[in-house]
Amino acid sequence: MGDEPHEGMSRRTFLQIAGAATAAGCTPARHAEKLVPYLVPPEHIVPGLPLFYRTACRACDAGCGVTARTREGRVIKLEGNPDDPIGRGALCARGQATLQALYAPDRWKGPMRRGGDGKLAAVSWDDAIAALASTLDDERKKGGRGIRMITRGESGSAGAVQKSVLAAFGAGPAQRLVLDPLDAPAIRAASKALYGKDEMPVFDLGAARSVVAFGADFAETWLSPVEMSRQLAAGRGRVGDDRTRFTWVAPRLAMTASSADDWLACRAGGELAIALGLLRWLTDPKNGVGDLAPEAHALAGRLGAITTAEVERRSGVPWARVAALGAELSRRRPSVVLGPGIASAGAAATPLAAAIALANHVLGNVGRTVLYGLDAQPDPPSPLGQLRSLVEEMRAGQVRVLLVGHADPAATMPAELRFGEALAKVPMVVTFNALPDGISERAHLVLPDNHSLESFGDLAPRKGVTLLEQPTMTPLADTRSASQVLLDVAAKVGLPEAKLPTDYYEFVQGRGADEAKRIGAADPAAAQRLASEHGGYFSPAAPTTVTLSAGAAEGFLALGAAPSPTEGAFDLVVFPTALRGAGGIDLPWLREVPDGITTINWTGWAEISPATAKLLGVASGDVVAITTPAGRVELPAYVWPGVRDDAVAVPLGGPEAPTLLPFTVDPVSGGLAWRSTSAKLTSAGRRVELPILGPNADEHGREIVRTVSRAHPSLPHPPPPPSMYPAPEYPKHRWAMAIDLDRCTGCQACVVACYAENNVPVMGPEATVRGRNMGWLRIERYFSVGKDGARVDTMPMLCQHCESAPCEPVCPVYATYHTGEGLNAQVYNRCVGTRYCSNNCPYKVRVFNWRDPEFPAPLNLQLNPDVTVRSKGVMEKCTFCVQRIRYAENLARDEGRPVADGEIVPACAQTCPGQAIVFGDAHDPASRVSVLARDGRGYAVLDELNTQPAITYLARVRDDERPEGGEKQPPAPEAPRGPKAGGR
Amino acid sequence: MSAPGFASIQRRIAATLRAPGPLHTLLIIVAASMAIIGGWCEAIQIRRGMVVSGLNRPVGWAVYITDFVFWVGIAHSGTLISAVLFLLRARFRTAVYRVAEAMTVFGVMTAGLFPMIHLGRPWLAYWLFPYPNQRQLWVNFRSPLMWDVFAVSTYFIVSSIFLVVGIVPDAAALRDTTTGWRRRLYSIFAAGWRGTDEEWRHYLRAYLYFAAFATPLVFSVHSVVSWDFAVSILPGWHSTIFPPYFVAGAIFSGMAMVVTLLIPLRRAFHLQDVITPWHIDRLARVVLFTSLIVSYSYALEFILAARGGESAERSTLWYRAAGHYAPLFWTMIACNSIIPLSLFSRRMRGSTIGLLVVCLLVNVGMWLERFVILVTSLSHDRIPFDWRTYAVRPIEVGITLGSFGWFFFWFLLFVRLLPSVSIAEMKEEAVHEVTHV
Repeated sequence: MGDEPHEGMSRRTFLQIAGAATAAGCTPARHAEKLVPYLVPPEHIVPGLPLFYRTACRACDAGCGVTARTREGRVIKLEGNPDDPIGRGALCARGQATLQALYAPDRWKGPMRRGGDGKLAAVSWDDAIAALASTLDDERKKGGRGIRMITRGESGSAGAVQKSVLAAFGAGPAQRLVLDPLDAPAIRAASKALYGKDEMPVFDLGAARSVVAFGADFAETWLSPVEMSRQLAAGRGRVGDDRTRFTWVAPRLAMTASSADDWLACRAGGELAIALGLLRWLTDPKNGVGDLAPEAHALAGRLGAITTAEVERRSGVPWARVAALGAELSRRRPSVVLGPGIASAGAAATPLAAAIALANHVLGNVGRTVLYGLDAQPDPPSPLGQLRSLVEEMRAGQVRVLLVGHADPAATMPAELRFGEALAKVPMVVTFNALPDGISERAHLVLPDNHSLESFGDLAPRKGVTLLEQPTMTPLADTRSASQVLLDVAAKVGLPEAKLPTDYYEFVQGRGADEAKRIGAADPAAAQRLASEHGGYFSPAAPTTVTLSAGAAEGFLALGAAPSPTEGAFDLVVFPTALRGAGGIDLPWLREVPDGITTINWTGWAEISPATAKLLGVASGDVVAITTPAGRVELPAYVWPGVRDDAVAVPLGGPEAPTLLPFTVDPVSGGLAWRSTSAKLTSAGRRVELPILGPNADEHGREIVRTVSRAHPSLPHPPPPPSMYPAPEYPKHRWAMAIDLDRCTGCQACVVACYAENNVPVMGPEATVRGRNMGWLRIERYFSVGKDGARVDTMPMLCQHCESAPCEPVCPVYATYHTGEGLNAQVYNRCVGTRYCSNNCPYKVRVFNWRDPEFPAPLNLQLNPDVTVRSKGVMEKCTFCVQRIRYAENLARDEGRPVADGEIVPACAQTCPGQAIVFGDAHDPASRVSVLARDGRGYAVLDELNTQPAITYLARVRDDERPEGGEKQPPAPEAPRGPKAGGR
Repeated sequence: MSAPGFASIQRRIAATLRAPGPLHTLLIIVAASMAIIGGWCEAIQIRRGMVVSGLNRPVGWAVYITDFVFWVGIAHSGTLISAVLFLLRARFRTAVYRVAEAMTVFGVMTAGLFPMIHLGRPWLAYWLFPYPNQRQLWVNFRSPLMWDVFAVSTYFIVSSIFLVVGIVPDAAALRDTTTGWRRRLYSIFAAGWRGTDEEWRHYLRAYLYFAAFATPLVFSVHSVVSWDFAVSILPGWHSTIFPPYFVAGAIFSGMAMVVTLLIPLRRAFHLQDVITPWHIDRLARVVLFTSLIVSYSYALEFILAARGGESAERSTLWYRAAGHYAPLFWTMIACNSIIPLSLFSRRMRGSTIGLLVVCLLVNVGMWLERFVILVTSLSHDRIPFDWRTYAVRPIEVGITLGSFGWFFFWFLLFVRLLPSVSIAEMKEEAVHEVTHV
C-alpha cells in the first residue's frame, strides 16, 4: 500500500497514533519505578537473601538481645536473640516496634539550631558541635554548675562517656539525672534497708510453684517482661500439682493477670495490708507453718499487732482469702512474691516492697526464686526528688545548659511538675532525642542521635550479661551517635587533662576487650569476634547470699496511718500496658495493635466496673470526666468487671495519666507514687465511637476458650464424624500449629510480629471503629465473672488452615485453595473481592483490603520483600508465614537434608515469650506439634463444624483449688467441660 | 360487559405510545439523574475502595447484596405471570403480563449490576465467566456465586427473548399504523411479521415452548440465589427451607411490584377498562397468597431453629428478633405478614389506593427481609468476639437509589415505546369473551 499520496492521515498513521494513544491511556501514571542493579555488589549482601545482625533492644531496661533481619541493606524485622539468656530469642511488642522508630517519617533528618526567628533550622554538624562546645566551655569556665543532663539509663559505654564528658566540663554526677519512668525503685530501697544492698533482685518464676504478684505486670512492663513471661509459661507447662499457681493482688486485673488463677481484688493502697496480713498468717505459730526462715519468729511479735479486721478494712478482701493464700504459699515451695508494680506503687511503695521481700524471705524463696547479687546496673535511675529540684533550679534560672538524651519528662512525668514551663527558662536546651517531642519544641539545639540499630554501643543489664549494640544498616539520615557527639564537643574544646577517648567506636571496642579479658577468655580477640556474632558476652554469674537485718525489718511491720476516706471519690489506678509503656513514643504498630484487655487502639480510656457505670449512667464509649487535685481529663469509659467498684483505672501512654497524677514521691525510695490520689467521676454527657477490635467480651457459653481443671486436665475427644469425601492427601508435609492457652498471656507480641513480617498495613482508628482492622492475628479475650471476681481468658485467633475449609468452595475464582502441604492459600492476584470467603469463615479471620494501604516513607523501607503488599479490594489472611516455610525448606535443600522439626518458625511463634505457639509437620508423629496435638487438653475451636483446623488449641487449666487454713483439701470434682449438643 | 372491538383495543393501547407529556418527561429525567448519581457513587467506590461503604468484618455483604436479591425477586413475577400462568391458562394474566415481563427484564438488568458493584475489584468482574484463557485459569463451579452467574444470565436471556417474542405481533400491528422512526423501530421488533395463519401456528407453538422453557427458571433462579446463603455455614443462612422460601418471597415482591406499577400506569394511560378491577383483584389474591407462604416461612425458620440442635442458630434468630436490628425485623413482619392480611377484604382489593399502599409496603418489607437475613446473620456469627453491627453509608444509599433510577428509566422509556398491554392477546381475549358469553 501507500503508492499514492494520501490526503491527510493514512490508515497506517491513524492506527499508529490510535495504538500509541491507547497505550498511553492504559499506562498507570504513578508506576515509574526504577530497578537499580548493584554495579559493585556490597560484600555479604546477596539480593534475595536475608542477613542477620545481633544487637540489643533499647525499648526498656530489661536488656533483651535482638537479631535484626536485614534485606539488601535495610532492617526489616527484629527478633529476639536465642543466645541471650534474658530474652532467649523472644521479643515483646514494644521491642519489635522500635524498628518503626528507625523508619519514623518525622524523625529528625539532621542537626537543627533555633535561629533568631525562634524557628528550628537545619545546621551542619560542625556548626552544631561548635555551638554546643562554646556554650559548654563557657559553663566550664564558670565552674560547670549550670550544666545538667537528663538521660535514660545508660548501663554501658554511653553512660561512661556521658559521665566523663560532663565531669570534664565540671559537672558532677549529681548533675546527671537518670530518668526511667517505669522503674521500681521501691524494691531497691527495700533491698537496701533489709539486706544492705541497693540493688534489684532477679526473679526466677520458672522455679516457683506459686507466684503472687502485687500489681506487678511482669508480662507487660515490669522489670523484665519477656523473661518472666517465659518463666511463668515454663511453670504452666508442668502438669498436675507442680503447675505454677498464680495469684494477682491489685484493684484492677491487668493483662498479666489474665493468666492468674486467683484475684484478690484489694482496694487501691490495700496491698500493704494484704502483704502484712500474709506475713502475719505465715509467722503466726497457731498456723503451724513449718520450714520458715529463722528470722520469721522474731517478726511474729510485731506482726501479731495487726488485726485481721484491720487487714480486711484496709484491703477490702476477706481475711479468709488472705489466709488461704498464706496456706497455699506455706504448702507450695518454692514460691515467689512479686511487687509492687506501677499500679500498686504508692507513697508507701517501699514498705510494701519490704513486706513482699520479707514474705519471700520467710518462705525461703531467697536464693531459690529471688536472687540477689545479679544486678549489674551501674546507672540506676535517680530519685525523683532530684527531678523536682532540677525543675526548681531551671525555673530559678540556675540551669544554663540542659542536655536531654532519650528522655521526655514532659510526656512521661506528672504535668503538675510543669517541666515544659521550666524548660523555657533554660537558655540552652540541647536534645539528642530522635523524634520531635516536648523537648525539641523548646530546644535550642537538636542533635539527633542514631537509632540503636544504626550505632555501636553496649549494655550491661545484669551480671554476666553484656549486650552489644551493633549497627545493622547505615544511618538513614544525617544523624550521629550522641556519645560521639559528646566526645567531639569535648575534643573541640580541647580538654587534655580529662583523658577522654576521641572515637566512640574505639572506646566501645576497648571496653569489649576488657570484658573479654574479665570473663577469662583464652583468646580475647577471638572472644570479641564471637561476641559480636552472638550479640554479647554471656558468662555465668552466681547469686550471692544475703543476710536480713532483723532490726530493719521491724520498722516495716506496721500498717501506717489509715487513709482518710474520701466521700464519693474513686481510687485512681494508673497502669502501664504492654503496648503503650510509659508513653512518650508514638509508633504506628503500638498504636494500631489493640490493648490486650480492652482491645482498644489509638486512644486512651478509663476502666470502670459495671456497678460504677450504672451509678454514673454510662456505658462503654460514653465519655467520663475524671477530676483529681492535679487535673481533669475526659476519657471514654470502658466498662468491665476487672476493676473494683471503688476504682477508676487509666492507662499510661497518653497525656491523660500525667495530667491526673500529682507529683507525689515515695519518700524512702524516691520513686513516683503512681497510686496516690482519688478522683471524682462524672459523666461528660457525650459519646465517642471507640476504636475497639472486639466490642463483645462475653463468650455466650460457646466455649471458644475451653478450660480444664488442674485435677483432670483433659477434654473428651469424640471420634471424628464420618465423611463422604476422601481425605485430602499431603504427599510431603502437613503444616500444623498448636497453641497452648495456658501459656498465653495476651501480651500481643505475636500480633506485632505478624504486622512486621507480613506487611500488614496500619489503618488508623477509624478503621477499627468501623471493624476494619487489618491484623491477621488477633488476641481474643473473654470475660467471665466467677465467685471470686472477674476472669479473663485470652486466645490468639488466626487462620485455622482447615482441612475442610469453608472459605475454599465458595470462592468463585479459586483465589483461595488448599495446598498439598495443608495450607489454606490465598492468591491475591486472582481475588476479585466477593468477600464470600470471609462471610463463610466461622472463625472470621479473613481480612479485606477496604482501601489501598499506606506506608509513608521511609516506613516503606521496612516492608518485607518476600511478602506481597496487597491492594484494595483483595482478601488476605494468615499464611502460616509461607515465606518462612519456603526459606527454611530452601536452606535445607541447599544443605541436602530434610527440614528439621522446629526449623520452620512463623513470626508469631518465633516471638512468643511464653512459647505458647508451636509450629511443625503433623505428618511427623514425633514432631513437637504432633505430640501437642495429641495432648489431652487439645481441641479444635468450633469442632462441631468439622472444619478440621490445622491448629490445635490446648485448653486453659483452671486451678480453683483453694486450701483453707493450711489443710489440703481434695480438689473439687469438676466435670470436664467438653462439647455438648445444645450446651453452648 | 360488552367486549370492546379489535379496533378499539388497538386504538386504546396504541394511544399509550404518544410522545411523552411533561410529567412523563420529568419522571424520565428524574430517573436518569438518579441513575447517573448512582453511577457517580459507584465511580467513587471504585476509586477509593470499599472503604466508602459501611461494610466491615464480619458484615461482608449488606446493602448491595440486598439490592441484588431484591431486584432478582422483582424480576420474578414477570416470568411467573407470562409463562406459568400462560401454561395454566389463567385469563387474568393477559392484560398485565407485558408490564410484568418488561419489569422482569429491567429488574434482571438492575440486579445483574450488583454482583459487580459489590466486588472489591469490579474491573475484574469478567473473571467470573469461564472463558478460555492462556493462563488456564478456570472458575470454581462449586461456588454458589458461580451458579448465580449462570442463573442470572440465563434468566436475563430467556426473559428478554420471551418479551421480544411476545411483542412481535403487536409490533407488526403498530408498524402498519405508524410512520417515521417509530415505524422503523416497530419493523425491527416485528421481525417481518405478516400475520399469516402459518406464522401464527409457528408463533403459538414457539410461545408455548418458551413458556415451558421459562417456567423452571421461575423456581430455579431464586433457588440458586437462595443457595448463596443456604450453602454457607453461617447460622441464619444455612437452612434447607431457603429455596422455596426465597421463591415465594420473590413472587410476593414481584407481584407487589407489578401492582405498584400497574395502578399508576392504568390511570395515567386510561386503561381502566383494559386492565379492569377484576385483573387487579386477581393480582391482589396472588399477593395475599404468597404473603401467607412467606409468613409461614418466617414462622418455620424460627420453629426449626428453636427445635433444631444448634444453639448458634437459635442465638442468631433471637438476635434477629430482639437484637440491634429488631426494629427492622418487626417492620418487615408488619409489611410482609400483617398488612397484606387486609387483602382478605374484598373492599381492600377493590380499592386501588389501598392496594397500592399495601403493595408499596410489601416492597419495603421485602427489601428489609433480605437486609435482615443478610446483616443479622453476619453480624452475629459463631465467634462472639467479632460481633459487630453494620450501618449503611451514603455511597450505598446513592447506589441503591441509582438502581431505582436505572430501573425506572428503562421502564418509563418502555411504556412510551412499546405496548404495555399485549394487543394481540387482548384481541384474542375479546374473541374469547364474545364466543363464550
